[in-house]
Amino acid sequence: MSPRSLRQFRALLVKDLRLELRTRDTAIAMLLFSVISMVIFQFAVGTRTEETTPFAGGILWATIALTAVLGVSRVYVPEREQRVLDGLLIAPVPRMVLMTSKAVAIVLYLLAVEIIAVPLVGIFFVEGSFAQDLPLILLTCLLANTGIGILGSLFASMALFSRAREVVLPVLFLPSLLPVVIAAAGATHSVFGVSNDMAEYRGFSLFLAVYAVIFGLVAYATYPFVFDD
Amino acid sequence: MTDSRSGRLLVVTGTATAALTALAVFGVFFVAPEDADQGIIQKIFYFHVAIAIASLVAFAVACISGVLYLRTRRERHDEVSSISIGIGLLFSGLVLVTGTIWAKASWGTWWVWGDPRLVTFLIVILLYAAYFVLRSRAEGERQRRYSAIYAIAAFASVPLSFYSVRIAQSFVHPVVFTQSGANMPDSMLVWFVVSQIAAFGLYLTMLQLELVQRRTEKRLRTLKTRVERLVAESPGA
Repeated sequence: MSPRSLRQFRALLVKDLRLELRTRDTAIAMLLFSVISMVIFQFAVGTRTEETTPFAGGILWATIALTAVLGVSRVYVPEREQRVLDGLLIAPVPRMVLMTSKAVAIVLYLLAVEIIAVPLVGIFFVEGSFAQDLPLILLTCLLANTGIGILGSLFASMALFSRAREVVLPVLFLPSLLPVVIAAAGATHSVFGVSNDMAEYRGFSLFLAVYAVIFGLVAYATYPFVFDD
Repeated sequence: MTDSRSGRLLVVTGTATAALTALAVFGVFFVAPEDADQGIIQKIFYFHVAIAIASLVAFAVACISGVLYLRTRRERHDEVSSISIGIGLLFSGLVLVTGTIWAKASWGTWWVWGDPRLVTFLIVILLYAAYFVLRSRAEGERQRRYSAIYAIAAFASVPLSFYSVRIAQSFVHPVVFTQSGANMPDSMLVWFVVSQIAAFGLYLTMLQLELVQRRTEKRLRTLKTRVERLVAESPGA
């Protein structure tokens, strides 16, 4: 990235974060939504079993995946509502920079949710202590968020101009997200609570990294074509 | 001129595919030896695996056509891409149907979550069904562009889905193709290859048929507008 694009990137990201900090529209809704889905999972799955620890990783990542849909669908709202997008597209900002700033915004929204959601899942669903596992799960979160952010930015931009975009986005986004959910749930499961299978954790983490790299390449090849007109 | 040529080509591929399919059905049921373990139900393998591979090839063609569309913006590439995904989706549906029949016969249940390939095809169907949702919600040049981008992204998801399902679950599927080659006698392999070529032929025939049909539709539309204009301009009207 040239210094100029870096400046543009920072300006775009700071604009999004500042808007979010002032209105708190998205992050609060995402957080509440994630807690509600945990409660739903508890009554759908948790009440049928004595021990919920084996389900904790799955519940966490099913929750995050659904929450991500919410966050991704909100990521272009400021641009859409105030017609900022027209201005941005006329401005000499490379499409790559715009899309990357959105991807990073999604990563940060998710991280804000996860900082609260991960310990909550630990408290709600894991028996015994889990504090020592949090650094490893944070790493999983970072890897998974990168993949979700890259993909989310691409699909959110495409859904932007579609009819019935609220319906299109989850249908587009979730099937491609499945590998992340599977691997992140696997990685979390292998270290959360009493289980401590580092070989499995490394395998799943490696997969998450590969996923991020592959979709990074897809994004690099396709981002410039999304806002072509 | 080009229409009659593509029409002739269609007849050739169609006839060859029909002959190959008939030959494959005959060979699989009457010539190929019966599997010692599974008996007659193993015959489903010849079609199940052949259409599975053909559907993945169709998705690969769709991805490549998507790349070509983004580079050249020729409508032809978009048509090939979208038709290929339609055919691939149909084939994937057949893979699921034959797969569940096979699972019922050999494992006693219709659906086995532990079989990564079957589960992957379920995910693949969800992935590519979304393609048509996206396609139906956009219009004009944007529709073609977004379809191309999605065809590329979805194809990147296919191997990732397969590996994620595979690392998440135990491996119970019979491994027929290993790295050292095909794990079956030559008398079976021959008929598998025939079935595979027939499946590719089916894909090509359907692709050509749809392309010819779309082009004919387009010509019909232009002819109609021309006739309407002529009628409007004629002094009697």
